[in-house]
Amino acid sequence: MNSYFVKRTGRAILTIWLVMTLTFGMIRLIPGGPIEMLRARLIRQGVDPSRIDAIVQTYKQDPTPVYVEYYEYVTSLLSGNMGQSFYYQEPVSALIVDALPWTVFVMVTATILLFVIAILLGALMAYHEGTAFDTAASSASILLSSIPFYVLAIGFVVVLSYQFGLFPARYRMSPGVEPGFTVQFLSNAIYHAALPIASVVLTQAGLQALAMRGNSIQVLGEDFVRVARLRGLSDRRIAVRYVGRNAILPMYTGFLTLIGFNIGGSVILEQVFTYPGIGYYMYQALINRDYALMMGVFLIITTTLVVSVYIADLTYGLIDPRVQSGGQSEAY
Amino acid sequence: MVKVKHTESDSTTSNEFEFGTTSSDVEVTTSERLRDIYEEFVYKPGLVAWDDRRTRIGSIILFAYVLIGTVGVWLYEAPATNQDPRSLQPFEQFFVAPLGTTGSGEDVLAMAIHATPAMLIMVLAGGVFATGFAVLIGTVAGYKGGATDRLLTTFSDIAMSIPGLPLIMVVAIILSPENPAVIGVIITINYWAGLARSIRSQVLAIREHSYVEASRTMGTGTTRIIVKDIIPNIMPYVLVNFANAARYVIFAAVGLYYLGVLPTSVSNWGIQLNNAYKQAGALSGGGTFYQLLVPMAFIMFIALAFILLAQGMDRVFNPRVRTRMAGESKSESDDDTDTAAPTEVMN
Amino acid sequence: MTQSHDQHTEHIAVDDPIIEVRDASVTYDEGTSYVLDGVSLDLGRGEILGVVGESGSGKSMLASALLDAVPDPGLLSGTIEYHPDSGAATDILELDTEDLRALRWEEISMVFQGAMSSFNPTMSLRKHFVETLEAHDEDVEAGMDRAHELLEDLYLEPDRVLSSYPHELSGGMQQRALIALSLVLEPEVLVMDEPTAALDLLMQRSILLLLDDLKEKYDLTMLFITHDLPLVAALADRMAIMYAFRLIEIGQTEEIINHAAHPYTRALLNSTPNLDAPLEEMRPIEGQSPAPINMPDGCAYHPRCPLAEDQCRTEVPDFHIVAGDHGSACFNWRESYDEIELVHLDDGERAIPEGDRQ
Repeated sequence: MNSYFVKRTGRAILTIWLVMTLTFGMIRLIPGGPIEMLRARLIRQGVDPSRIDAIVQTYKQDPTPVYVEYYEYVTSLLSGNMGQSFYYQEPVSALIVDALPWTVFVMVTATILLFVIAILLGALMAYHEGTAFDTAASSASILLSSIPFYVLAIGFVVVLSYQFGLFPARYRMSPGVEPGFTVQFLSNAIYHAALPIASVVLTQAGLQALAMRGNSIQVLGEDFVRVARLRGLSDRRIAVRYVGRNAILPMYTGFLTLIGFNIGGSVILEQVFTYPGIGYYMYQALINRDYALMMGVFLIITTTLVVSVYIADLTYGLIDPRVQSGGQSEAY
Repeated sequence: MVKVKHTESDSTTSNEFEFGTTSSDVEVTTSERLRDIYEEFVYKPGLVAWDDRRTRIGSIILFAYVLIGTVGVWLYEAPATNQDPRSLQPFEQFFVAPLGTTGSGEDVLAMAIHATPAMLIMVLAGGVFATGFAVLIGTVAGYKGGATDRLLTTFSDIAMSIPGLPLIMVVAIILSPENPAVIGVIITINYWAGLARSIRSQVLAIREHSYVEASRTMGTGTTRIIVKDIIPNIMPYVLVNFANAARYVIFAAVGLYYLGVLPTSVSNWGIQLNNAYKQAGALSGGGTFYQLLVPMAFIMFIALAFILLAQGMDRVFNPRVRTRMAGESKSESDDDTDTAAPTEVMN
Repeated sequence: MTQSHDQHTEHIAVDDPIIEVRDASVTYDEGTSYVLDGVSLDLGRGEILGVVGESGSGKSMLASALLDAVPDPGLLSGTIEYHPDSGAATDILELDTEDLRALRWEEISMVFQGAMSSFNPTMSLRKHFVETLEAHDEDVEAGMDRAHELLEDLYLEPDRVLSSYPHELSGGMQQRALIALSLVLEPEVLVMDEPTAALDLLMQRSILLLLDDLKEKYDLTMLFITHDLPLVAALADRMAIMYAFRLIEIGQTEEIINHAAHPYTRALLNSTPNLDAPLEEMRPIEGQSPAPINMPDGCAYHPRCPLAEDQCRTEVPDFHIVAGDHGSACFNWRESYDEIELVHLDDGERAIPEGDRQ
């Protein structure tokens, strides 16, 4: 177990480093650097060409070889410095510290919520397998899953925000609201996050519910459930300890992976809602060729993904007694 | 509860999805082999699929899209700026533009129809790449074990840890691909990884089965064992995941077009969405909602087709509910717990 | 040949039954197919009754019926009377949910085939015992003491087994732990459905010996269901043979082994390799047993029976008294002695049984 832990930790760190290197290299391949983007922006703003040249000149630096840049980036990263955002003219770490909690709040809440709904609904469907309720819930799950979350998000904004003005169409909170542990702030934040969360939950819960339904039906058919009934255990206990637990187990890894996935998916979602989280910054960094910001956001999203898979792998053995972590397979 | 019916069709289906043919070393000609492949991978699954209501509806919808993508684009005039009067409402001039026009006079329905062929190619390319690569990595890792396994598993773990959508966006901007097949592959650039991981664990279980062990003892080569004994066993799972990958490709592709990360010179539902959404914001009225609804419907129905196919095939291939009647020994529940891999889905 | 002087009966009764099954049937598909067809059977207090049948003969269904636990959507009809040591008899099928819950495991307990699948894989063995005791409002501490003793009786280390998860135990250990679990509430009757099917021969034998000891120590009545005729012959006081969802022969073990009267039983005995007979004399039964939807009219065995005649094809035979409490559901049971020789018997033993010479 201990050597597995060490190995697994080592692999997680290796993965983050590899992805970082890969991203670093890839980002330099993107056509058009930050200067070109700045020039294009200034031209669009109708700035006088000679003035543009002057501005651009101030940003021009001596070209450094990529490996030197890489070395400098890694060393400063190790000291906690993620560089300066060219577009926002702010330290990348400050932007991320500001944005990350919002994205995590939206996506983690949404993923937890959708799993809770999926587990309850799936178990209910399994218990009522074949009834009208089951058919209706299965059909609804399938129909909702055929909508991409951003399509539902667009629909929400157009109908609920623009048409009926029920929810805000953009931003994390209303102007003038100060972050802090106040009722006003919290309720305002939830009010703004409601539509993003709802669009993720509604479009993703269906398939998970169907997965839960399938797992539960399978478990319900197992001998040990029958034996448990004969042993006189209460239906409640059987539903929770026997069916629930054994049906949820295979979904556990999927749950943690989905959190990571969804944080990656925030790029589209936050664009639709103009919600300045890390996905929003990722997009801004990409179109403005803001290398440092792009690297920073990429690194953060990668780290969340790696860490969630890492947690899933390490903890699975704790929740499923059958799995001894780190089993190696014999080679043929 | 489960109704157990012993009808003709039931008994045929149960024979039908015996994928694991253990055909022996008899040499076969190419045409026979092709026919075998057709039987194994097209005819039999097709027959099984038709038996389930979900897969049947899914196939019909998908077939409709193929028609739209082939015959439809040929029959229905391509969209062009100012081809029709601007901002027509749906059904306003039915014979000019049945579902209305955009602010620049493009036929909304034409835009949606002419986006279809590229989407279908993307889906096919992405699905084939994702499942094919996953099968390759997963089976080799699972079957060979040892150092090969460790290497391939680390490789797919790393691929899995790269955030999918941001990675695709960066690659899309670097390559700025126009060819839909290339786009399909880019979108599934690391989608295969999760699939490879679960295929690997299934192969790990299969390789311990006695008939695989027998093949190995008889000195059958690795490639042959993988192709003959292992792939047929994971085929149902792969087919289900092909449909899942297809849906993922649709969602991701439309999303990328929506963001404007992919070249906007072509027709795509995502571009339509983006334009309509911007207008809806600017006009802040429901007047342009139809421009959103048309691409939305096109996205939803094709996604629905693939979900129905995936769900239906999943049920046909893994009858989780065993016939509780035959009563007697249920001891042959060989394929227990972990074959029911969690449905991993993104978007 | 005449059968007029034959005595027949609906069922073979015993003196002090603890369970009386009368005309128990299980139907599926709205009564169109039977998976248990009018079985009547007495289980004598303190005896071990072995029920033998091929897979698909309905023997597991009989076991489930005794606890009124037929899997959905099967419909169980008939009566199953339970006679406790003291107090009035009750029809198990008439009990309400709460009484039925109390009866199961406290009075009649069950061990299933495949112990592995009988335990919740994500729960330790101790929890299985504790929750069973709690569910029946038993004193947990006293109950766990009993569990320890039971596990020791079954040659297991109680503390180690109790703190294990099911998958950490070997098949034989699991099976024994399951037997301990089924006895933890001190039931009167233990129904065992192929309890040793998944185990190797050595383990089967040792578990059988343990069962014999347990039966003495805890004063149990046992119904032992198996497809393995010689296995149960070593253990059971009486044997009942099932074929195609019906009971076709019942009698003392010795009587069945040596003087089986039903052609099927005789064929079954001859198809069994380990009854000291040389392998070349082993004779598999030709043909297949019928499926529930394809039940032949009359005696279900007639399509495979060498003695079948017109009556067999139209009428279902009831039990013909062969000798004492040995009954055989066959019209031609006399002929079967001559027509089907039992290969495992010496020539001297192949005589006509007592009952026929009366």
